[in-house]
Amino acid sequence: MKVDRRSFLGLGLGAVAGIAISPVGAKLTDDSSIWTQNWPWTPVPPDGKITYDQSVCTLCPGTCGISVRKIDGRPIKIEGQDTYPVNNGGACLHGISGLQYLYDPSRVKTPLKKNNDRFEPISWEEAITLVARRLGKIRENQSPETLACITDTNLGSVAGLFAHFLAAFGSPNQLTMPELESWLALTAQTLHGPGRTLGFDLDNADFILSFGAGIIEGWGSPVACFKANSGRRQRGAKLYQIEPRLSNTAGTADRWIPINPGTEADLAMAMCGVLLQENLFDPEFAAGFRGGLNRFNAMVQQKYPVDQVAAVTGISAADIKKTAIAFAKAKMPVAVPGKGRGDGAQSLKEFAAIHTLNCLTGNINKKGGTFVKPVPGYLAFPDPVQDAVARDGTAKEKLAGSAQELVTKIHRSDAPVVDTLFVYNTNPCYTLNNPVQTRAAFEKIPFVVNFTSFMDETAMASDVILPISTFLERFEDVPSKAGFAGTVVGLARPVVDTVFDTRSPGDALIHLAKTLGGTMGKSFDWPDYKTCLKSLVPGIWKDLSKNGHAVASQGPPAGRVTTDFAFLAENPPTMQPQGDDDFTLVPIDNMRVASTVPASSPFAIKTVSDKVIKGRDMFVEINPRSATGLADGGFAIVTTPGGSVKVRVNFNEGIMPGVIGMVKGLGHKFDNKYVAGKGVNVKELICPVIEPGSGLDAAFGIKAKILKA
Amino acid sequence: MIQDKKAHKFGMVIDLDKCTGCGSCTVSCMSENNIPFKEDESDKKDSITWMRVYRLTNGKSFPDTQIAYMPRPCQHCGGKGGHGHSPCVSVCPATATDYGYDTGIVSQIYTRCFGCRYCMGACPYHARYFNWWDPVWPEGMEKYLSPNVSPRMRGVVEKCSFCYHRYQLAREKAYYDGVDEIEEDAYQTACTTACPAGAIIFGDLNNPSHRIHQIVKPDPHPDPLNHDVVGKSRNPKVFRLLERLGTNPKVYYMSEREWVRKLGDNYLDGEWEKVKNHYGSASHD
Amino acid sequence: MSEIENKTEHGSMDGAKECAAEDPKDDTGLGLGVLFFIVAFLICFLSGWLLFPKLLYSKHEQPFSFDHALHVQETGDCESCHFLREDGTFSGIPKTQSCLDCHTDEPMGETEDEAVFTAEYVAKEREVPWYVYAKQPDCVYFSHAAHITAAGMDCITCHGHIGESASSRPYEENRLTGYSRDIWGKNIWGIKKNSWDSMKMDDCAQCHQEETGHKGYCLQCHK
Repeated sequence: MKVDRRSFLGLGLGAVAGIAISPVGAKLTDDSSIWTQNWPWTPVPPDGKITYDQSVCTLCPGTCGISVRKIDGRPIKIEGQDTYPVNNGGACLHGISGLQYLYDPSRVKTPLKKNNDRFEPISWEEAITLVARRLGKIRENQSPETLACITDTNLGSVAGLFAHFLAAFGSPNQLTMPELESWLALTAQTLHGPGRTLGFDLDNADFILSFGAGIIEGWGSPVACFKANSGRRQRGAKLYQIEPRLSNTAGTADRWIPINPGTEADLAMAMCGVLLQENLFDPEFAAGFRGGLNRFNAMVQQKYPVDQVAAVTGISAADIKKTAIAFAKAKMPVAVPGKGRGDGAQSLKEFAAIHTLNCLTGNINKKGGTFVKPVPGYLAFPDPVQDAVARDGTAKEKLAGSAQELVTKIHRSDAPVVDTLFVYNTNPCYTLNNPVQTRAAFEKIPFVVNFTSFMDETAMASDVILPISTFLERFEDVPSKAGFAGTVVGLARPVVDTVFDTRSPGDALIHLAKTLGGTMGKSFDWPDYKTCLKSLVPGIWKDLSKNGHAVASQGPPAGRVTTDFAFLAENPPTMQPQGDDDFTLVPIDNMRVASTVPASSPFAIKTVSDKVIKGRDMFVEINPRSATGLADGGFAIVTTPGGSVKVRVNFNEGIMPGVIGMVKGLGHKFDNKYVAGKGVNVKELICPVIEPGSGLDAAFGIKAKILKA
Repeated sequence: MIQDKKAHKFGMVIDLDKCTGCGSCTVSCMSENNIPFKEDESDKKDSITWMRVYRLTNGKSFPDTQIAYMPRPCQHCGGKGGHGHSPCVSVCPATATDYGYDTGIVSQIYTRCFGCRYCMGACPYHARYFNWWDPVWPEGMEKYLSPNVSPRMRGVVEKCSFCYHRYQLAREKAYYDGVDEIEEDAYQTACTTACPAGAIIFGDLNNPSHRIHQIVKPDPHPDPLNHDVVGKSRNPKVFRLLERLGTNPKVYYMSEREWVRKLGDNYLDGEWEKVKNHYGSASHD
Repeated sequence: MSEIENKTEHGSMDGAKECAAEDPKDDTGLGLGVLFFIVAFLICFLSGWLLFPKLLYSKHEQPFSFDHALHVQETGDCESCHFLREDGTFSGIPKTQSCLDCHTDEPMGETEDEAVFTAEYVAKEREVPWYVYAKQPDCVYFSHAAHITAAGMDCITCHGHIGESASSRPYEENRLTGYSRDIWGKNIWGIKKNSWDSMKMDDCAQCHQEETGHKGYCLQCHK
């Protein structure tokens, strides 16, 4: 027997024949074709029962109702809540991206303690003990006023608890970051007395004179404003937009009136002059004028004659007159202050002058007008239990009138001004003008405790970080604000279990106060934040827990309003930006970029135009007419008294010659590759200018030069 | 072919005068349809946004310049004469995309697609996107993915589906309730419900009771000047993109502004003046 | 002799011997070839039929055996546990919570399987990680409402007589595709005798063609 070629041939043929009439071929062909369609590493989201949770978004002052779609309890999508009386369905891109914040790469996952420039994780117990020990020492030293606190807002129970904590502790130094609401409240206080704020009935007004308010750029309650803008077109109501740049709001307006940056107050004053001169003010409402209307009239006629203001603003005298008269003759005119989103640096003079236009027309507390309404007062805080140390401390003078002033004071002082600083839900090391100075000031504060959800610029400059649950993981009362006409209090409710070892800020404060013991513990005699909240809002808890919101007021507020002209009659100075170069650099509010806390989500950054960010480079907008020596898309160096940055140039016919526009909210420097490291923070180029009347930063921009790089 | 009388023709009309360019539609779409994101999304050629918002300008210089925004989903072309030969469907060698005659929706089946990108070349609206990379979500973020839309993988093309899964869910509900007709509100795309300006109106172009039908007033007859064009709007403010190509999109746009309408197509010098009156205005009834 | 063979005569003796072995009169070579053919054929044929299916599928036992017959007897139908939700979506395999509508944390019967269920899943509040025989890949969209409610089909048409089974058979997973064996069907050739034997796209399309006159558009069954 011999194995030869033929045998092998037989073997091969036999194998082939055997396989061929077995199912292997057919089956493997089918299976391998399916295999090519398989990507086992792509996630397969598990299916399940669809449910919806109703809550309120707290990402911005807009306070929109949201509906969270869940699959077997797993949140998968945020949408606008159709029946919520602020947004009535619809949501902005940041709210819709909300779920990304839950799993954001820069979230703080556990309490952290700084150890030689590095953070090490500690337990909640350790963290609270650490902070309590520090605070205990401060009180032993009888200097409770050296504890300061900066919160994002002064409305709502969480800000209230921080204030309560400071009062019980003995510090008057509770400060809030400037936001549109704080500017509106300050304006209302200046013109109509304390405890009031302003709302604008944009849904019904028939003539909106906007002094740069980015009505569709995120000003006020964004979704409500978007709806008002759409409704305006249907109603045939007019919108005149006065600002140096053709923003989206200007693009959608009936008229865009370009104005030299920072001269809005002058224009409003001149318009007041026209109204008074032409006798176009409302005599009935004028009965409530106090503090020298005649003095005010004489002042504006003398200091703000239309011809002179025309030269300052770059708007023709005829145009100023025509616009003022059209405004005054409209049935329901509303003048809206607050450049861009209306937060950050603004000017009280400007707000007051613009609101005076409203007062002169008398369209106050009427449908389609401006509402002078009480600050929402639904919270019933018990008096803090104070000991002698606390009483002495709170009686001391406040260190500063604003966060900006405090930072400047700390920066300039050699001796420690503040021993311990609490920061809640705000990022001053990024959002205040001149963040380099802010960071330097933070380094001089011995102990910074940050209640935050994200490892942002300020968190990195802190000593202890107490990780806070996001708005999707906790309870919070959410009052409407920022110029919203009605007053609605919403209830944010947890739609998902905490993803990380985080707590509600209220629970952290209660824990801290209890650890401190004594009068602090007595002042915080609640078992947890939810119980606390329930006890603080006895009148509306039923509505809140049942409907998710309580409507405090809708429609025009009742009662007479008096207007005090004393502040404006003194003609406070118009603030000038720093520097003496030819160009004026102004920040641009872009709806797709968040500029405060939290920073933009990856989705939001994805929608940003490649004419704003390309790779890591940022564009500035400039009118080609004033871009001598620059090329569209080319590199340039922008220099201001604040610093110098390399940017790319975007020629835009929609910006006034002589103005450089730069989008706010970019150039973050923290660990999130999707959001940070892109472009420049425009605030780094802008130096604060403190307005005497308000004590607040009024630097709307800064003088700059731009040269080819 | 299912071409029963009750066939739907889902479409969209976008009011460009209401659109604020805010980007809610884009993000709502990304969140609804499990669209991933990368570290750098500034190269818009490889940035996947089924619903992309373009910025339009009238090209005039300061201060006469004007801007508008134009959201652009897949146009769900009916093809020449509306017979379902959409540009992409006609070229797909894998039958990974087809025209649903029952809904008028152009599909894209990811597991079927082998990534030749013919469809992307054929689409005159740049509505199709190629997955150059596998999607990667930061740790934990894959928890928000929706089971109603399959996450895609590297090497396939994807595009807007008019949120077809929402149609499926609406139908399931209708079956359960024993109703034949799906209410207008029961099936709305994610971009439509998200739009804070209410600029997007979605519905059945074949259903006279739907808002879109009342706004668009689609011409039941082919365009007498170009028989390939069907369903032209009889509303003078309404237009479609590159309408003269005969792709017959089911996405309509609306604007009071003539310069915006003119940007709907590429016109030679003087051509707009000749054709503008044929556009939108009822050539016949 | 051929020329080639002639040439070998000038070669070595081995070559000559080889040559002799291949003498046409001696047909052992061919016979061996045939033998090899038959052996190889049989090995491959049989392994293709018998071994290949075993190799192709990996077997997984269910977490514990489930007695469908008993439950159907107790509840009366399939819909008690596998129902359409009010939004028309299909509930699929019941969650532990819905089992507790009848069960408690104490076993109702005396089987070992139920003991596992109460101890491991009820007590620990966990979901049972069932292997789903009818599981389709992620790209497939299937509406139970459309088939049950609108088309009036019964469960058996697609799922067979699973309701009559007293124990859970092992779940077989295709090693190459990761699909359940039930998609292709038990028959390795894919020959189906009953409507529920296999559930590939062609099976869906065939039924759709017969019932609706059209195989359906892509998005009807895909996502």
